[in-house]
Amino acid sequence: MKSFVSTHPVVLFLYYISVVFMTMFMMHPAILILSLLGALLFFFMLGPTKQFLRDTGFYLFVFILIAVTNPLFVHRGETILFFLNDNPVTKEAFVYGVVIAAMLVAIIFWSKSYTLLMTSDKFVFLFGKAIPKLSLIISMALRFIPLFKTQMKKVNNTQKTLGIYTSKSFFDRILSGVRVFNSLLTWSLENSISQADSMKSRGYGLKGRTNFSLFKWSSRDCRLLIVIASIFIIVMYLNIKGVYTFNYYPVVSNFEFSIKHSFELSIVLMLMILPTLVEIKENLQWRYYKSKI
Amino acid sequence: MRKDILIIGFVILIIAVLFSGTKIQSVEDYYQTHVDDITEDSETIFITIEATTILNNLDQLDPELKDEKYVPKDGIILAKSEYVLRKNDTVFDVLKRTTRHNKIHLDFQGASENSFKSAYIKGINHIYEYSCGSLSGWMYEVNNKFPDQGLSRYKLKDGDEIALRYTCDLGRDLGQEVKEY
Repeated sequence: MKSFVSTHPVVLFLYYISVVFMTMFMMHPAILILSLLGALLFFFMLGPTKQFLRDTGFYLFVFILIAVTNPLFVHRGETILFFLNDNPVTKEAFVYGVVIAAMLVAIIFWSKSYTLLMTSDKFVFLFGKAIPKLSLIISMALRFIPLFKTQMKKVNNTQKTLGIYTSKSFFDRILSGVRVFNSLLTWSLENSISQADSMKSRGYGLKGRTNFSLFKWSSRDCRLLIVIASIFIIVMYLNIKGVYTFNYYPVVSNFEFSIKHSFELSIVLMLMILPTLVEIKENLQWRYYKSKI
Repeated sequence: MRKDILIIGFVILIIAVLFSGTKIQSVEDYYQTHVDDITEDSETIFITIEATTILNNLDQLDPELKDEKYVPKDGIILAKSEYVLRKNDTVFDVLKRTTRHNKIHLDFQGASENSFKSAYIKGINHIYEYSCGSLSGWMYEVNNKFPDQGLSRYKLKDGDEIALRYTCDLGRDLGQEVKEY
């Protein structure tokens, strides 16, 4: 039972916008760590544990790669650890690399859960009326890569049964790959045109055309929207006041944890783990109902 | 597929590190350099590093740099000092040597890393380009003239007076005319 998925698309979309905005534009390390935590937790709740472990294992190495690359190319900062080819390698650059890596991995995990939750029908539901052409193009573009992959598998398998790829020669194999790719390219062009034609013939984007959708606005959506919007506004207000400013160069700012600060960070934490909390609550409710049967 | 990309990333990183060399020095080793002693027949130059223009534009300065460690009260980071000129020395060589001798932080873009084929000074003493407004950065002067050449292409003569000056206004506040293109 996945619960956050069933919230209204408007709420979902606003939630993702606010979370991604905060992660990308606020450089406070605590916010980024909380965002990473929230993204990981929610992704853990959504999919099978095996998939989660595999993905986190993979992105751990991405994290390390980014974190190590920054100090090699950026020589800013006061605390010099050692000199590499007469260039200083500094602690500040390393810290900044870790923070940037956390930001990137957090964004990747948010996007992963986004693609699971915001299916293209929801996207078209949101923007089909306002920007019919663009929303169709965006949903098609997002769908393009997975579609391309499955089609590639299909064509590959068919070609294999026809005897391609059997030659040991390296160039023959490359040529067969090119052949498959060639057919895929024409297929994808044709497919997108036929999809657009079929949408047009069904009157997509015409005036007065109604759409059937199962999305209903419930009181829970109202509550969620109020929570998300109020937290986002408070955080933005505090950000303008300079609460979340944090410098990395030339010296990393001191991070003092006080009671006042704990409020400022706990509301961020609230926003970041909101979907996880919704899932946990729903799971508990489900268990409770089941126990009554 | 995903793993391949990751492995390619790591391989590129390792190759980049190996290509650029792996001379690792500790901080003490790096700063323990020998500077030629000035004798009677040695050719010498004078060098100054200053950022006095910041003092007039303190409102534009990045807040994290508002410290006497970075911008001294009089704006002078290195007072006029005399150093031995080695053969074929450019301004960049002398600057590198003096900052190393005086333990002043220096961040630059090497001559091979840009299309001008000359080194570019990004920051000295943690004051960087754009640290004091969007028109700020480091400029250099030889005998009170701003050469139309990169730092590492200007060969020095005996008795030259070098000055590295920080500008907050594209050089206009240093008395330099800015040509319109």
